[in-house]
Amino acid sequence: MSEFLTVKDLVVEYSSGGQHVQAVNGVSFTLGKGETLGLVGETGAGKTTIAKAILQILPDPPAKVLGGEILLEGKDVLKMPEKELLTIRGSKISMIFQDPMTALNPIMSVGSQITEVILLHNKISEKEAMERACGMLEMVGIPRTRYVEYPHQFSGGMKQRVVIAMALACEPELLLADEPTTALDVTIQAQVLEMMNDLREKLQTTMILITHDLGVVAETCNKVAIVYAGHIMESGTKEDIFLSPMHPYTHGLFGSIPKLDDKSKRLSPIPGLPPDPTNLPEGCPFAPRCPKATAACRQGVTPNVEVTPGHFVRCGELVQKEVD
Amino acid sequence: MSKTKAKAPAEQAVKKESAMTGILKRLAKDKAAMFGLILLIVLILACICAPLLTPYEPTKMDSTAVFATPSFAHPLGCDRLGRDMLSRMLYGGRFSLGLGLLVSLIGMVLGIFFGAIFGYYGGKVDNISMRVMDIWQAIPSTLLAILISTALGSGFIQTVIALTVGGIPGSIRGTRAMVLKEREMDYLEAARAMNCSDFKIIFKHMVPNVLSPTIVGTTMHIGSTIMEAASLSYIGLGVQPPTPEWGAILADGKSYILSYPHLLVYPGIAIALTVLAFNLFGDGLRDALDPRLKD
Amino acid sequence: MSRYVLKRLGWLILTTIVVAIIIFTIMYFVPGDPGRLILGNTATEEEILAYDEALGLNDPFLIQLGRYLKETFLEFDLGTSYVFKVPVMQEFAERLPRTLILGLLCMVISAAIGIPLGVVCALKRNSLVDHGAMILAMAGVSVPQFWLALLMVILFSVNLGWLPPYGFGGIEYWIMPVIAGSVGGIAMNARQTRSAVLETIRADFVTTARAKGLSENKVIYKHMLPNAMIPIINLLGGTFAMAIGGTVVIESVFQFPGIGTYMLTGINQRDYPVVRSCILILAIFSTVAMLLVDLVYAYLDPRIKAQYVNASSKKLKKKEGESK
Repeated sequence: MSEFLTVKDLVVEYSSGGQHVQAVNGVSFTLGKGETLGLVGETGAGKTTIAKAILQILPDPPAKVLGGEILLEGKDVLKMPEKELLTIRGSKISMIFQDPMTALNPIMSVGSQITEVILLHNKISEKEAMERACGMLEMVGIPRTRYVEYPHQFSGGMKQRVVIAMALACEPELLLADEPTTALDVTIQAQVLEMMNDLREKLQTTMILITHDLGVVAETCNKVAIVYAGHIMESGTKEDIFLSPMHPYTHGLFGSIPKLDDKSKRLSPIPGLPPDPTNLPEGCPFAPRCPKATAACRQGVTPNVEVTPGHFVRCGELVQKEVD
Repeated sequence: MSKTKAKAPAEQAVKKESAMTGILKRLAKDKAAMFGLILLIVLILACICAPLLTPYEPTKMDSTAVFATPSFAHPLGCDRLGRDMLSRMLYGGRFSLGLGLLVSLIGMVLGIFFGAIFGYYGGKVDNISMRVMDIWQAIPSTLLAILISTALGSGFIQTVIALTVGGIPGSIRGTRAMVLKEREMDYLEAARAMNCSDFKIIFKHMVPNVLSPTIVGTTMHIGSTIMEAASLSYIGLGVQPPTPEWGAILADGKSYILSYPHLLVYPGIAIALTVLAFNLFGDGLRDALDPRLKD
Repeated sequence: MSRYVLKRLGWLILTTIVVAIIIFTIMYFVPGDPGRLILGNTATEEEILAYDEALGLNDPFLIQLGRYLKETFLEFDLGTSYVFKVPVMQEFAERLPRTLILGLLCMVISAAIGIPLGVVCALKRNSLVDHGAMILAMAGVSVPQFWLALLMVILFSVNLGWLPPYGFGGIEYWIMPVIAGSVGGIAMNARQTRSAVLETIRADFVTTARAKGLSENKVIYKHMLPNAMIPIINLLGGTFAMAIGGTVVIESVFQFPGIGTYMLTGINQRDYPVVRSCILILAIFSTVAMLLVDLVYAYLDPRIKAQYVNASSKKLKKKEGESK
């Protein structure tokens, strides 16, 4: 197997004040080199937690990885000593954070924040590192003269470019992009996405794109995983998910997006709210909102079915159908 | 529209109540805060019920009991004039606690009023008033209190005025800073769009939102005011003997530090415990209002 | 930046003059007649009147105020003590250094012990060290300084006989005043630093720094602490003002011959020039301390710095526009 990244049965728990929350509940997926996976789901589904677990930067306490494996080129990140992790973070794996407004250190110039990561992972002089940081700024469309400026002097979109430049500065093999465009205006969103795509192609980077925007996924990803309440409900290639979605939740997500060619006047949103993570329902977590849920769905372990090669669906109702 | 309108207040009430019970629950779980609260209740009750707890008047002298050591008749002993220390402590607490509460509450009300107005209107009014605050605060508050006490002479009301004047700029600035932050919030835009009057926006929308941190600040301020009042009395200003304010009792006993140190120990413990109680409770209140700060 | 400093210095002078006017006005209304107090009960009405006349105390308020301001700010003459007949300036030359050193020592010790303690507590939060130190800090902010001073006298002077209970001389006379004056500041600084550091521990830019592959130590010293220190530095000015106010009471307990004891004697004897000058000089020093702290603050925080630079350059542009 030449899989670049394999995540297997990952379980992450947050605990605070005696309360335990399973934020990630047995998540598994694989990614080949150069592939792009879209992790799609509502806010609080556990997407960011998965990414932070891969980088091993979950805040501990309160977060704790309870089980599973994260294999990067066959080596388990969870078992790596801290020293080895330090060499991987920022160089081999890097992350673009959700909120550009707060992701940058307010009292360091943006340039020196980029230089910092370059110096850390490359044996070059400070001057060379600064030169490379200037190059990175130019690559994301920021003039090099702004190297000495501070984050508060940049707009949101510009800050996100800085964050991206910082993440790409050491040419990572795996890029974790956590809603890189959510905080931006639509026009800037498109620019940033296009830029990220170009860079990814240039550097042959594997990417996990976290988003709740199916449109972005359609543009960028070749694999998709639908996340709900810490579980992957459905995963497969982009074509699998977009052309033949199987899971009722995936249907629900598509039903929530307005379409121009659709004659019906109303969207069909998913009824109800995501479950309270401190108090997940027994059985399938989506069952309380699922239009097709049966009594069997509300208890026991929901089976994960491979409907076509590589297209997995976690749904009890589907199994029933196949048995019939 | 009408439907949502009718529903909204009820929903809001439910939400408010649950937020309130959440705060109270967190507060009740906080052992230190509960210890502070119980201590406060005990102290305040003891001072209110002083006549029931001790048979002596705080100013009644007894020439046979001068410098009496603690005994059954006088649990904390007597001072240089044979006055019962326990009575002096309990009645003195009325003055000390009263001073702390009065000064802090006046400061809070004035602070909210002016802080909200300056912060909300901004511009010239705010600019000028902030410069006035700068000058006002140029004299450290302890020195300002000393200066005003000197001018007004000693006494309870005079001390209240002296300490209040020193504390007001701090409370005004505190509320103003919070109001400035609050001014950026969308709900104010909504309120303005609905044609709310400025007065209504300030006192019905903004003030309730900045009230909880202000209450925390005031709770802590009570403690520090009691300390400041005591130091004023100690250096010969503020409330003066024979009025049994705790600082005044300390000042009264300071000449006997070598021979009768117990005259200095009790009032100090009383002040420290009271301030501790207010601080513990204030800390707990802050954590309960903003649980993010804990763990 | 230099424009800003100049502006602040000008403001400082104005503040000082206004403060002097306020002090004079309040003291003007102090009840009691210096002539009567100084000459004693045996003096006749005429003698007292003549004495007051000679001091100019019978002139109208504005004339007295004008004379006071002229003497203070143009001739740098703070007047002569009614009681001791010694120029206040002469007394200050001896006493002022003592009080300033006492105040500065208290501030420096408060910061030097309190801030690192707060940092340690925040980094090892909920540990035994943290709980222990925070309980002590809570006690420290709750105990009146002058009472602590009295207890120390009872313990170290009366019972153990290690240190002189009061007076002035060698280093042994400084130990107790400095300790008594620092305890509250140490406790306050520790508590505030702890919460400031805790605020930054959760900041997004700290996660960014970790994701870069920085070691935990570098994350703490390069990203977390510099940001946490900014509000703490801002509070140091207040600490100095507090220490200055506190020295008055501390000096009184130890009969330490500084400005505080001088002022209290002045108050008891209605020695107006002494009281006025003592309060004015202490106010000036605490204002200067605040100014210094503000300048350091503006220098360290690029956000604040930019405000001033922008504000002054904007004004400059405006002026240029006007002149055209």
